[in-house]
Amino acid sequence: MGDKGGKGYSVPKPRKSSLKTPLSNNGSAKSKHGVNVQFEADLNFSPRNGGKGESPMTNGKGGKGDKVANGGKKPEKKTPPPVQLRVEKDLPENVTCLTDCEAAEILEGIQEQMVVLSEDPTIKIPIFFDKGLQLAKRGSDSYTSPQAVREILQRLKNHGVADSEACMIANIHPESADEVFSLVPSLKGKKNKLRGPVESALGELAKLRRSA
Amino acid sequence: MFFHIVLERNMQLHPRHFGRDLRPKLVSKLMKDVEGTCSGRHGFIVAITGVENVGNGLIRDGTGFVTFPVKYQCVVFRPFKGEILEAVVTMVNKMGFFAEAGPVQIFVSNHLIPDDMEFQSGDMPNYTTSDGSVKIQKESEVRLKIIGTRVDATEIFCIGTIKDDFLGVISDPTS
Repeated sequence: MGDKGGKGYSVPKPRKSSLKTPLSNNGSAKSKHGVNVQFEADLNFSPRNGGKGESPMTNGKGGKGDKVANGGKKPEKKTPPPVQLRVEKDLPENVTCLTDCEAAEILEGIQEQMVVLSEDPTIKIPIFFDKGLQLAKRGSDSYTSPQAVREILQRLKNHGVADSEACMIANIHPESADEVFSLVPSLKGKKNKLRGPVESALGELAKLRRSA
Repeated sequence: MFFHIVLERNMQLHPRHFGRDLRPKLVSKLMKDVEGTCSGRHGFIVAITGVENVGNGLIRDGTGFVTFPVKYQCVVFRPFKGEILEAVVTMVNKMGFFAEAGPVQIFVSNHLIPDDMEFQSGDMPNYTTSDGSVKIQKESEVRLKIIGTRVDATEIFCIGTIKDDFLGVISDPTS
């Protein structure tokens, strides 16, 4: 637990408590969903079994019942896979994922050019450039060398971690392999195979991190 | 997440710009037209990093404008479902809170905030645990997970959650 919260300043306590609760809450939330599912399932099954519930209804409603039955099935499927990152499927091929520190490096380079360009009154620096840079800088502040981060991530990619997953690992500064597997659920399947490489990568990333 | 991507756009240029400065004119027009825009497929175009290629121009019938196919590299920011982001809280109300991560706005509904955190109204509305150890208020930094996105012409809007393991407050402005 110390690992989870150890990252922030006031973090440890808040995280602990905010993490612990979700755990228990999740359980309850899941069970709530489960209850809903069961209710729907019960509603479907009981008329089927008894027939009484359905008999006063029209055929159309029976059809709806079928739909509900499908609806009942869906949550069962939904519960195991949490929301997963599918960057590669959604983006064209000629795309490179950037870690925040790499993005910051590029954007800072452009910012210098922007100063020159800003003398041209027709070109305005978009507000979102600053916001993007601000976000990227937060990530870059924590690592001393974007190139070294990229090398570490490349080693992870050799073990079958997708580009986007590797970049996200660098961006969120996790402190334990468990944290990585929890936050990037798509890696859970290869948990046993990846635990070693992930742990060593996290260790190396921690060395590159600037002390706050 | 940030991406480096190569995109293509057909740029229309008025004949008055033809001459030695044609290429710089094209580039500055490209920057004006493209930077800060948003598309569902690529996300937010934060900055153009280079122009790869300017194709042969094609005169448009009747107008004299010339269309140039321009290939350019740019840095885009696009949030994805399942992505973990560190965001700064911008507004808190009883429905939940809004946070910002770069150009993206994220709303976290109170259903997606841990159940033990309750809304406290007042000058500085916040969500606080019963023991007061965790507080989410304006300027707090939170780690959240994106569970839904909506993209329109000028912005990307996301729905997030902090009701999961390893999510929640990273830093509190008061501490």
